[in-house]
Amino acid sequence: MAILTVEQLSKNYGPIQALKNVSFEVPPGSVFGILGPNGSGKTTLLGIIMDVLKASGGSYRLFDEAPTEKHRQQIGTLLETPNFYHYLSAVNNLKIAAAIKGRGADDIDRVLEIVNLAQRKDSRFNTYSLGMKQRLAIGSCLLGNPEVLVFDEPTNGLDPVGIAEIRELIKKLSKEGKTIIMASHLLDEVEKVCTHVAILQKGNLITYGHVDEILVNEDIAEIGAADLNQLYTAVKGYPEATQVQQHDQHVDLYFRNGTASLEQINQFCFGQGITLNHMRLRKKSLETKFFELTKNPK
Amino acid sequence: MLTLLRIEWYKLRNYRTFWVLGILYLICVFAAGYIGYRIEKDTLEQSKELKMIAGTSFSFPDVWQSVSWLSSLLVFLPALLIITFVTNEFVYKTHRQNIIDGWSRTQFISVKIVLVLILSLLATLMVLLTAVIIGFLGERAFSAEDIQYVFYFFVQAISYNALALMFAVLMKRTGLALGIFLAYAYFLENLVGNLLDWKIKAKPGAYLPLNSTDNLIPFPFIKNVTRQLLDQPNTNLLLVFAAAYLLIYLFIAVKKFRTEDL
Repeated sequence: MAILTVEQLSKNYGPIQALKNVSFEVPPGSVFGILGPNGSGKTTLLGIIMDVLKASGGSYRLFDEAPTEKHRQQIGTLLETPNFYHYLSAVNNLKIAAAIKGRGADDIDRVLEIVNLAQRKDSRFNTYSLGMKQRLAIGSCLLGNPEVLVFDEPTNGLDPVGIAEIRELIKKLSKEGKTIIMASHLLDEVEKVCTHVAILQKGNLITYGHVDEILVNEDIAEIGAADLNQLYTAVKGYPEATQVQQHDQHVDLYFRNGTASLEQINQFCFGQGITLNHMRLRKKSLETKFFELTKNPK
Repeated sequence: MLTLLRIEWYKLRNYRTFWVLGILYLICVFAAGYIGYRIEKDTLEQSKELKMIAGTSFSFPDVWQSVSWLSSLLVFLPALLIITFVTNEFVYKTHRQNIIDGWSRTQFISVKIVLVLILSLLATLMVLLTAVIIGFLGERAFSAEDIQYVFYFFVQAISYNALALMFAVLMKRTGLALGIFLAYAYFLENLVGNLLDWKIKAKPGAYLPLNSTDNLIPFPFIKNVTRQLLDQPNTNLLLVFAAAYLLIYLFIAVKKFRTEDL
């Protein structure tokens, strides 16, 4: 059983291909991150799944069934920007959303409490700040406590405290067993909260799978000696190193996350008759990894 | 459908434009009828001969036609209301949110069509009430003869409102839809109609989309004179055309909303 199955989905805007034959599956209970730079097709993908955009090719299924509006009623979705009636209060806006979802109005106070808008619930939407609008949109998603949530850039426009709160909320929802599909261009956001990730670039699905497998962190030991060529030859076959690269000023040894030991490297080199004049342990930044995956020179 | 309408009611309940335009329409319809009645009364009191020639337009049964005709000058007000309300959904992207939250596209557009129907009925009800009240102020006893003019007003109202809905769905922007609607209704169609009548012997101008409903209610005053000057197009044919145009407006609106990217 899959919550969402996407098969060969394509979308053209005139000559521009916003999505090119994208296929993947979202398993139940996962926090599924869709990661990609601006314009990579994340919102287009979610828009098709929510029937506000029409696919040019391919298909998708919700809960293993052909999608209908009944499925959308069981999913809390925030797509792109918070869309509310500007002249209505938060409560009246949520009344409309709840009625469309086929749920009673009795859940409104609870969700406003969760997103900290209870005190402003009778203010008109157009008096809200950007962050409050975003929080109201998240609150609207939570109406009726749905089992599946779709968030497109959920921390957009929020201050640091708000961002932390929303990430905590997503983790909490995930712990309750809910499936969350989240689009983001923020790598560390995906890394912090997601269990699965799909990476999109210019409409292509580059890779997808478990977050630990795709966003593997690497340790890099940076070492230097008087004769770099000699050093490079000596450490080229260093056990445990996944890769060795020679640079102008130093040699880089790559290790799997948490397995690099400067002590052992130092000892090894000394044993080979080389005295190191420079040693440093670097963490490979996620951004570097991301650029590598999307093959974009930094 | 009742659930859908309840949700539309939530949207309209606190929508000031709706109430301002709506109440303005109600006041204007009654005022137009009443002012027409007063002017006629004051004029006719001055001259017995004039009364012979012109006849009284605001007594039963002529009052049905007179009030319907005067109200038809205001029929654009409910249409503006439809345009602002529907384009608002597009401007604030709440149409997308409604779909995302679990309406089908068909539900969204069909409840708007029902709203067009309800507004047209309410607009007609006001015309009916005004005609009855002013009719009782008049000289002759109540008569339901010629009450079909009120029904013709309804046909006109639903045509204008459905055309407004179509323009709203096609244009999506409030100003653009309003501008094109008004330019079409009050200038373009008349221009095209006059050109057609000038070039083609059969005079098809009267059967253009909005003309076909405008012409259902002929100019009601000084009838004894105008009846000889103007030849009235065939009413049944006008109704057939009006119904066909109505179906076309609705078909285009539904088709567009169901198939395009929102």
